[in-house]
Amino acid sequence: MQAGLSTQNAPSVWVVAPHFLFGTLGFLIASVLAVLNYNDFLGYHLTPEVIAITHLMILGWLSMVIFGALYQLIPVVMEVKIFSEKLAHVTLGMLITGVSLLVTGFFKFEFISERIIDVGGTFVITAIVLFSINTLKSAAKSKVKSISKKYIIVSGLYLVLNVLFGLFIILNMTFNWVKVPHNQLLRGHLVVGLVGWFLMLIIGVAAKLMPMFLIVHKLKEKYLETAFYLLNIGILGIFTLVWFPKYPTVLFDIFLLLILTGLILFFLFNWDVYKHRMRKKLDSGMKPTAIAFIMFLLSMISFTVMYFFGDYVGAKPGQLEIVSGFLLIYGFFTGIILGQTYKTLPFIIWLFHYQKLVGKQKTPLPAELYNDTFITIHTWTFILSVVFFVAGILLSSKYSVLAGSILILLTSITYAYNSTKMIFHKKMIKQ
Amino acid sequence: MSKIQTEFTEAEQKVREILKQVPDPEVNVNIVDLGLVYRIKVDEEAKKIEVDTTLSTPGCPVGDTIIQHIENILKATYPDYDVKVNLVWDPQWDPSMITEEGRIALNQ
Repeated sequence: MQAGLSTQNAPSVWVVAPHFLFGTLGFLIASVLAVLNYNDFLGYHLTPEVIAITHLMILGWLSMVIFGALYQLIPVVMEVKIFSEKLAHVTLGMLITGVSLLVTGFFKFEFISERIIDVGGTFVITAIVLFSINTLKSAAKSKVKSISKKYIIVSGLYLVLNVLFGLFIILNMTFNWVKVPHNQLLRGHLVVGLVGWFLMLIIGVAAKLMPMFLIVHKLKEKYLETAFYLLNIGILGIFTLVWFPKYPTVLFDIFLLLILTGLILFFLFNWDVYKHRMRKKLDSGMKPTAIAFIMFLLSMISFTVMYFFGDYVGAKPGQLEIVSGFLLIYGFFTGIILGQTYKTLPFIIWLFHYQKLVGKQKTPLPAELYNDTFITIHTWTFILSVVFFVAGILLSSKYSVLAGSILILLTSITYAYNSTKMIFHKKMIKQ
Repeated sequence: MSKIQTEFTEAEQKVREILKQVPDPEVNVNIVDLGLVYRIKVDEEAKKIEVDTTLSTPGCPVGDTIIQHIENILKATYPDYDVKVNLVWDPQWDPSMITEEGRIALNQ
């Protein structure tokens, strides 16, 4: 057997699969809660229920799956084993405990002390720091020099920065060390979290995976190189500005434009990959991914309208914020996971069951571990859920928001069918 | 001399046909038509088979499974032969190495 191959670097299935299992559960619970509390989304302000659902989506679903997927993708992108599998198990345990406590705490059940939020938050913060240590230590072992690795390292650093920043914001509410409005600090928190952590990570992973899956060489990497500088200047610029009680708004706008330009370059990179792909026919995992990129484009348009032209479109306060956030967090982040699950999870499960049997017995392909019809169903329910939910918010129609929420639930159920089908797959040998 | 073999003896051609049963599990196209097999050397007197193969990317998640598949299938077909599979990176694989059959199979 040859050295340096990523199958040998691949983590145990027991590291990756539980993340997908608990992530799926988080998505299911969040969508049930969304149906039960759909009316809260039309209030255009943060109710405890909306806060609970948002945290469950971001931490219990998106972060949970991203952690697991990254443990599997680090060997692909960086050509090393992850730093510590034990640490990954501890991190998962902490994240599950933390998210459960935090979300329960937000609902303010009478029998539970409000302290539960503090304890849950501490678990989540520790899990995030441990995950970042694992990622950054793995990167330190890697000799690969690539744009993907640069983005992933920086996203890990932003994740730690954002957790510490979030902690500071909470403490500052009590001690008032820095006399600036909390909403202003929260704006920085959102930019570092959504752009610095989530988007930088997605860009890093996509830069490697999209060309690999669609079979494209001769990439326009200069787009990503330029975007790397624009995004970092934009993120750090905004992060610096929010500490000042007063700052020139034009500076904030410039940093925001740099971020938007960087994201457009990322979109153009992927568009170029898509145009020059050798695999013209998109497979089951790439179709939902393509839809997710459309949602990404829509979220950027919505965000631009909200921030620069909000006064001219006559939207209610908070309306466009919810639409932009929904298109990014649900439309793009959830959409990309709905597709990329089928490009990651079946392989680690397949390797676990069949690696030693290839060439000796007739084994199924990774694509035979899930049901294609269910992917088609959740791709359509996903598209319709976005349409109905966004229309409901923009038209203030509670029936449309309810229909959107039910469609989100259907998406999570059909996705859960396939992810559990893969996770609990039983070995089958073809005759 | 090119490191990618273009002419094959009858015995090498037979090995090449057998290797068409080895798919890249991600795309479900065989490794020969994907252009991943660079060289096949069959020494019938010494009973040795040597295959030079590459991967589409060094981080290929199923890389050594493909190599294991090549070894297993050749050992099963040629039980008396010594089978050696070399993983090579020069020249670097690129999509232009995919055969016409491979291109068709990729989009089925």
